[in-house]
Amino acid sequence: MGSIALDWTTFALEIVNFLVLLWLLKRFLYRPISEAIARRRAEIEQTLNEGRAAKAQAEALEKQYRGRLGDWEREKADARAQLARELEAERARRLSEVSAAVERERLRRETAAARDAEQRRREAEHSALRQGAAFAARFAGRLAAPELEARIIDLALSDLRRLSGERRDALHAAAGQTGGSSAVIGSAYPITGPQRERLEAALAEVAAAKLSYAFAVDPALVAGIRIELGAWVLAANLRDELSAFAESGNDAA
Amino acid sequence: MLTPTFLTSAAITFFLALLAWASTRRLRLEPTPWQTALEAMYDAAQNAVQEVLPQHAARIMPFVATLWLFILVANLAGVIPGLRSPTADISTTAALAVIVFISVHAYGIRIRGLRGYLRHYVEPNPVMLPFHLISELSRTLALAVRLFGNIMSLELTALLVLLVAGFLVPVPVLMLHIVEALVQAYIFGMLALVYIGGALQAQEERTLAKEK
Repeated sequence: MGSIALDWTTFALEIVNFLVLLWLLKRFLYRPISEAIARRRAEIEQTLNEGRAAKAQAEALEKQYRGRLGDWEREKADARAQLARELEAERARRLSEVSAAVERERLRRETAAARDAEQRRREAEHSALRQGAAFAARFAGRLAAPELEARIIDLALSDLRRLSGERRDALHAAAGQTGGSSAVIGSAYPITGPQRERLEAALAEVAAAKLSYAFAVDPALVAGIRIELGAWVLAANLRDELSAFAESGNDAA
Repeated sequence: MLTPTFLTSAAITFFLALLAWASTRRLRLEPTPWQTALEAMYDAAQNAVQEVLPQHAARIMPFVATLWLFILVANLAGVIPGLRSPTADISTTAALAVIVFISVHAYGIRIRGLRGYLRHYVEPNPVMLPFHLISELSRTLALAVRLFGNIMSLELTALLVLLVAGFLVPVPVLMLHIVEALVQAYIFGMLALVYIGGALQAQEERTLAKEK
């Protein structure tokens, strides 16, 4: 049971005891705990600071990445625009090439068509000439007669005398090359004496050389004569004339 | 002559000091459950003092917390068979009340200065001086007698019930003793805190006004 009486010794010792306890607890309890809490708070503060720094760094990185993303988007847009331009240019170039190829093909076809038309025209013309020549040959064959031949000989003689200087030189050169200077004169009908003399005289005059003559009858000539002196030939007959007529189409081409 | 009351108080001091030393020997950043409990109690005491004296909590808290701890353990010592609560002795409670009385003036003079502290006795009017002086004495006396009366009466009640009703019957009274021990320790410490706070009130108000 408690004591109601105040004991001064106990009173004084209790005061000392409490002060000692206060000192001991300050020394061994409050200060260590306070320091531990302070250390932990410092640690937490440091962790928070590190977290804030990490957050700031992360935000900076995020900002940087967003910037890069923006740059990338711009680069992508630029690349797309560049690609579109290149595609457009390539399309235009290919279109141009195709157009040029089409134009070339059109020109080639037109040229080929023109050539074919020309060829057909020539063939038709040649065919017409041949038909005309054949018709004329058949018709002239029915008209062939010594009188016609005489008339042609007259024309030949007339032509001989009107030969140009250049052709006369060629005839003279041919007469020189033949050595024997033999002129072969073919005719569809036998040539009469006066006709022979006139021919020989005309040839000698034109060739300006002494010639020997050989006369032959060749009914294929239809009417007229053919004079051969070496490589020089004078055709004055219906066959050669019609052949020349028929070939004139080829010469014109 | 060393009385059993003092011997018990000395034993409590030794026990608390030993427990404090053993508990704080290896404090770590990652606390053990016991360290967590200690820090929680420290924080609770710190917060309680800080609510009354925000500017001087760090200086006042060890004194008030020591009062709480000592009075609590001293009150609970009476529950242990063969021991007697030191606070059931008027010598102990008077000593504690005197310590509080001296502490109030010591903290007041230390923080406000002698003139500043003495001035509060004549505020708001010098007529109040006798009342202030009577208040100082009466509240100190009340501190000592309240604690002594409560603890002594509890022990006496438990003894009487044991004598009248027999073994184990006073157990509810002992449970009440535990609650009362807690309450009385809290009341004594809080009253000491309030008295010190009263002595520093004007200075606290000025500091807070400056901060605002």
